[in-house]
Order: sequence, then structure tokens, then C-alpha cells
Amino acid sequence: MATTTATLTLASSDLLTDNLSLSSTMNLYQGGTTATGLEQMNYHRAIIPTGTNFDLIEESDALKDNSNYVYIINKNTDVTDYVTLSINDEVIGHLYAGDWAYFPWSCNLSAAATDSTIELEANTHECIVEYALFHVGETLVTATDA
Amino acid sequence: MATTTATITLSSFDIADNALSISNTSTFYTAGTNTGITETTGLARKKTSSGTNTVLIEPGVANSVGADITADKSAKVYIKNTNDRGDGTKYVTIMILTREIGRLYGGDWMLIPYKAASGKNLEFTAYDTTETTLEYCVFYE
Repeated sequence: MATTTATLTLASSDLLTDNLSLSSTMNLYQGGTTATGLEQMNYHRAIIPTGTNFDLIEESDALKDNSNYVYIINKNTDVTDYVTLSINDEVIGHLYAGDWAYFPWSCNLSAAATDSTIELEANTHECIVEYALFHVGETLVTATDA
Repeated sequence: MATTTATITLSSFDIADNALSISNTSTFYTAGTNTGITETTGLARKKTSSGTNTVLIEPGVANSVGADITADKSAKVYIKNTNDRGDGTKYVTIMILTREIGRLYGGDWMLIPYKAASGKNLEFTAYDTTETTLEYCVFYE
């Protein structure tokens, strides 16, 4: 097994009267285990054109009913550039230039109505995104010439 | 304006042949600007012993923690399941309306952008009736 950690630090000296300083670290474990780390990962960098909602991370039988964690960052630098993050037709929110998101992801194959594909659409300008999926398995495709 | 930053560090020395080390810091700006977000719910806790669906944040609903969260702009939400991992089988399902986002096991956290529009409730369902505590905070404009 692998040992992977995700650490968040939230900080501000002037949002509140007192300093905000929050730190949290988690291990990326397989679901249903006490301490077995996720062993597989995909890391991508992509240029997302405007005008189309794209499937970023698709459902897969090997991913269902377990622990998967997603990290996405918008690498653009113009503050007006943003991508819209959705799970199927349900918009989660917008990632502006430099913003990142990290969340667990449930791959749900139960029905089309609860389609869980992670989708991304660039607005105002094409956006460079990097994203990672830490996961329990991958449905490999048999080669057509196998 | 305020300056609030969120830094993520993803690291592993053995998930690949070479060590993985990803670190990025984002500053919470209002949509499309370099002006820092100035509104927050503050860090809050919610306990439940219910295995049924529970509302965490109701944007725009009077007298709720989400009363002032009404703009579909650049809001961010932090959520952590503060329970310990236990036997590894218990988790909290985080949803936006009825759409499941993912499962937070004990000790897990998440940070997502939030389409803080009316009706876009953030909700959760605990695995069972084991008392579960979530900590959460919304940053919004």
C-alpha cells in the first residue's frame, strides 16, 4: 500500500478580528479499511476550450462504491478566467484563476439520473487545468488487437 | 479587503516511483477580481446522530447559517468529518441537493467552490446513527 497525505492550511490575519489559522491533514485510505492507502493515481494537465462542458473524470465500474479523491486547480493567471465544476448537471461551483478544489468523489453507476461524471467548462477564456484522481482501481480497456 | 489563503499539500513517497509533492496556495478573491473575500460564516460545528439526510447550509434562508450566502460567484466551502476513522466503514455522504459529491470518512476534509445560489443546499447523510461531528466554514461575497 502507499501512504499519501493531503494537508490543508487556511490562514488569514485580517478576515476576522483574530487570526484565522486552521490546518488539517488526512491520509488517503481505501474505503472500508482502517489504514490501507490508495495505491493508484492519475495526474493530468489539460487545456479546456470555452463553450463546451467536458467530461473530466468519467465513471468506471472499478471506481464505484469506494474512496476516490479529486484535486483540480485552474492554472490561468487572469483573474477573470474561470471554469465551472459540475457533477453531471449539478453545478458545484466556479474555480477562478489560481483556485483549487479537493474533495472525495463517489462514482455512482446506479442510474443515468444520478450520473456522477465530473465535468468542467471554461468561461471567458480557455483554461489550463491540472487535476489528479487518487483511486481504488481503473477499468482497463482490452486492446482491440489482443 | 481581507487576505485569506488556502494551501494544499499532497504528498507521497511511495505512490509512484518518484516522490509526489504537489503544493499550491490560492487566495480567496471575489469573482473576477483581486479583491479579497470579506464574508465568512466562521468555523462552525454540526453534530448529528441521525442516519437521515441533514441540511448543512441553506443559501439565502433567513435565520440559517447560510442566510447571507446568496451570490453564485466565488464562494468556497470547507468541511471536515472530525470523527476518528474507527473501523473504516463509517462515513458521511456530502451532497449538493440530491447529487452525491463524495464520502468523508473520519478525519477526511474537503474544500470546494460553491454555487451559492438559492436552493443549492449542501447536505449530508451520516452512515448510521453513530454521533458524527462536522466542522465547516463558508467564505463568500
